[in-house]
This record gives sequence, C-alpha cells and structure tokens, in this order.
Amino acid sequence: MIFTRLPFIGQCLLLLLFLLVCGWISLFSWSVIAVTPMDALHALYKMNEDSIAQHIVHDLRLPRVLIGIMVGANLAAAGVIMQGLTQNPLASPSVLGINAGAALGMATVSSIAPWFGLLGTSVAAMLGGGIAWALVMLLGNAWRGGNEHGRLVLAGVAISALCAALTKAVIIIAEDQAAGVLTWLAGSLTDARWQTFDALWPVCIIGLLGALFIAPSLNLLQLGDDNARNLGVSLIWVKLGGSFLVLLLVGSAISSVGAIGFVGLLIPHMARMLAGQDHRKFLPVAMILGACLVVLSDTVSRAIIYPAETPAGAILALIGAPFFIYLVRKRTL
Amino acid sequence: MSLSTHNLSVGYHDKAIVKQVNLSIPEGKIIALLGPNGCGKSTLLKAMARILSPMEGHVQWQGKNLHSIASKKLAQQLALLPQTQPIPEGIKVKDLVAYGRSPYTGFWGRLNRQDQLIIDSVMHETGITELADQLVSELSGGQRQRVWLAMTLAQDTPYLLLDEPTTYMDLSHQVELMHLLRKLNKQGKTIITVLHDINQAARYCDHLIVMKQGSIITQGSPDSVLTQTLMKDVFSLNAQIHRDPIAKTPMCVVE
Repeated sequence: MIFTRLPFIGQCLLLLLFLLVCGWISLFSWSVIAVTPMDALHALYKMNEDSIAQHIVHDLRLPRVLIGIMVGANLAAAGVIMQGLTQNPLASPSVLGINAGAALGMATVSSIAPWFGLLGTSVAAMLGGGIAWALVMLLGNAWRGGNEHGRLVLAGVAISALCAALTKAVIIIAEDQAAGVLTWLAGSLTDARWQTFDALWPVCIIGLLGALFIAPSLNLLQLGDDNARNLGVSLIWVKLGGSFLVLLLVGSAISSVGAIGFVGLLIPHMARMLAGQDHRKFLPVAMILGACLVVLSDTVSRAIIYPAETPAGAILALIGAPFFIYLVRKRTL
Repeated sequence: MSLSTHNLSVGYHDKAIVKQVNLSIPEGKIIALLGPNGCGKSTLLKAMARILSPMEGHVQWQGKNLHSIASKKLAQQLALLPQTQPIPEGIKVKDLVAYGRSPYTGFWGRLNRQDQLIIDSVMHETGITELADQLVSELSGGQRQRVWLAMTLAQDTPYLLLDEPTTYMDLSHQVELMHLLRKLNKQGKTIITVLHDINQAARYCDHLIVMKQGSIITQGSPDSVLTQTLMKDVFSLNAQIHRDPIAKTPMCVVE
C-alpha cells in the first residue's frame, strides 16, 4: 500500500486532512433544517447572527464534531496504552471491563444521586472504570507478566458481565432516570454541547500529551518486562502512570458521550498496520484515526434512520464486532 | 568490588533457588558461572541484574543496594542478556539494536550521532550489519541471538551479564563471540557469563564460579578450579583433566 511507504509526517498530514473533511461534512450533512456546506464554513469564521442554519452549525454541530474528535483520540490512545502495558492484542477499554465499570459508576450516581451533576458522574465513571480494570488485572494476573492472554480477556468478560448486570439493577431501581441512562449506555453524541466540550478538552489534552510522553517506554515494554527493566524502564511507574492515563482518557470520554466501544480495540491495530510498531509513530496516527472514526460514525448515525438518530456507539459496535472476531481468528492467542 | 551479593537468597514463588550466597565479582575480568541444570546460575545472574528481587539479603552495587538505584542510571552500568528472549513482532533488526541506547537517549528516545556510531559498531562486531532491515521475527535462532547480543552491547555498560550467550549459535559464531568478549574485556568491561561448555569457559575466562544446588561450591582461576574431584562432585562425571595443546588452559575429557 502506498500509504505505508509515506514518511511519518506525510501520513499524519494526510490523515489530518481526511479528518478535516470528515468534520466539515459532519457540520452540514443530515440536518432537519437545511444547512449548506457554505453555511458550515461561514459559521466558523464570519457568523451571520440571523441565519438559523449557521446557529445550528455553531451551537450544535461544531461542539459535536470537536467532542467526537477528542473522544475518538482519547479512546484510541487508551487502547494503544492498554495493549502496550498488557502486551495483549485484545486489550482495550471495552474488552477489559473499563467501559462497563464506568457505565456502572455513572448509572449509579445519576440514578441514586443525580444532584452531583456532570462532575459527579465524571468522577463516578473514572472510579467505576478504575475499580473494574484493577479487578480484571488482578484476576487476569496481568501484573506478573507472562503470556496469559486468554485469562486476562476472560477476566474482562466476567467483570463486564457483572457490571452490566448491576447497571441493569440500578436502572430498574431508579426508573425515572432510566431513559437517560440507557441512551448514555449506548454511547451517543446527540447531547454533546459546548458545556461538555469545556469540561472535556483540558483532560483530553493532558491525557494525550501524557500518552505521547510514555510512548518510548511502551516501545521497550514490547520486548518483555525483563528487557524493559534491563533497559532502564521503571516498570512500576510506567504501569501505574499508564493506567492512570487510561482512566483519565476513558473516564473523560465516557462521561462526555457514554460507553462508546471498539474504538480502543480497532484503531490501534489499524494504526500499527499503517505506521509500524514504533509507538512514537503509531500512537499519533491512532489518535487521528480514532477521531476520524468517531466523527464518521456520528455522521452515519444521523443518516441511517434520518431524521431520527441511531447512537454512534451502535454504529461502532456494528463495525467493531466483526473486526474483533477477525482478530481472534487471525492471532494465535 | 563494585558488584557483590550479601547473604542473597532468591527464587520463584516462595521457593529459594539461590541460597544465602555471598559473592564478590572480581572487577575487570571475564567470569564464567558454571554448574549443572537448575543449580541457580541464571537466577543468580537475574538477581545481580535486578530482574529478580531478593527474598533475603541483598545485592550491592558500588556500596549501594542495587534496588535503591534509579533504573535508568543502573541501565548505564549493568546490561543483561537473558537466556530466553521473546520474538517481537514487526520490529526491524536495526530498531531493536537501537533500543539498547534507551538508557542514554534524550527526549522521546531521540538518537544522536554518537548513539548511531555505537549502534553501527556493535552491529558490525556481532556480524549483523547485513540483517539491519530484516524483521527480527524472520531470523534464524542463531542470528536472532546475535541481534539480542548487539542490543545488550549497545547499552555500552562497564558490566555485562550474559546468560548462555552462545545458545543457538554454530561453532564458528561461538568462537567469534568468545573472541569478542575478550576484546570487550580488554577495553575494560567486566563480563559475567553463564556457560555450559566447561572447556570454553576454561579457555576464555579468567575466573570460574561453580555452583551446585543454589550454593557456590568453589571459585578461582581455571587451573585451580578444574579438578577431577570437582567434575565428580558437581557434574557426577568421571573426567580427566588435560592441557589444551594450543591455549595451554586446563581441559576436561569425560571418560
């Protein structure tokens, strides 16, 4: 493929261009009130206060696209870090229970104590995800190293199932909040507004920079724990720091738009195919690809049963599930 | 003595393999660790490279507890070549060797001119220059072993800990390796290596350490260590000790 032979900077620029186009299309397409492509551009740099179309672009579509970009980059980066830390090709927020744990935390707080607001649910999502992941890693024996790939995934499946069951119980107990929680569980950018954007971007930037910062250490972890330690990597700090970053990235993404799955599993593998095994290269590529994928799925989610919306999480699951099966069959785990 | 163990016990899953070993590594020599399978040679080597944590006692490096030294700093002093290595997917030979420079590289693993020079020179010394652009996973066992060795050498440490570095290598590469170790030793490196071939150890090493069941039985120059009784006690072999006609070092021939 020609793309894989491009220099790294060229790959990034090309993908960024693709992301811009996706974002622009997402700004004007599939709107109940007609929005022209030019409206989408005008709303960005010389807004006409009287145009409803441009207000739609500025107040609804733009934050939605920006949040989609950040959520995609966050989840992709989290997937790369998780696969690097565990040396497991199936590691990702959805497979290893973080999504389900965060969903449980979120559902619990928004059903039982809704007065905590956005901050409360964000913290609950991170706590829930963190506890679920810690349990999965303990059950799966992942901290000891070794090649027990199957065990880790099994632990992830078990904890996910447990969290999902508890989440359902919470929904049944607090029925008046059920509709909101259910939409959120499916993962959708429908309710993404500037308010969400303001809460998301600082965490997103810290998380993504942190991920880039530990990329060289993730490279050495590929050589196994012994070699990494021998080459001067402080395993405890990298694993703790990496886990913290994952929670930051996934927790902030999930509390903004709900439990979007498969981005963290799918994108790291695509990025590796395109940019090779060096984390310093395929991590940035994964971030941009993740952003593209979420923005695209969000656009498609408006098109499928237009004018009603399908949750973007459902679209991603439709693409992600077959890919997951493909991975399991291709790799000798 | 820069590297020493003090009452060191270490092992796996609560079972001590190395038992209360006190050992000072003589500086500036090539040291061979010898002994039958399962006697704790590799375990001792891993403990000295801080890959394994002691159950009891400690390892000292320049007067300090090994585990209290910053990882990166220690990685500039000690390099270990483990016995079994993973087969990394999708990594090129030259990139793997370059990872050996990690303890020195600046921001984001950037290599400078000197790093590149060292990488080129160790690849030349280990005879893998032609393999530079191949994937590590596509090499033969012996070639891969030389690539890992090159990565360890790229770490450019005064102490080298090698666990059976000759594994998978054909005879000519084994001899080349032993000559390379001598050359590195002349440049001032201390080399501690686990070897299976006793005659190779006697011929190329200055100091032999013989282990059995987690303890050190004896140590010293090849001449003082290699005796008929030792071969009987440690390896349960009836052997005669002769003189190597070329190197004049002791040589054991099994009866």
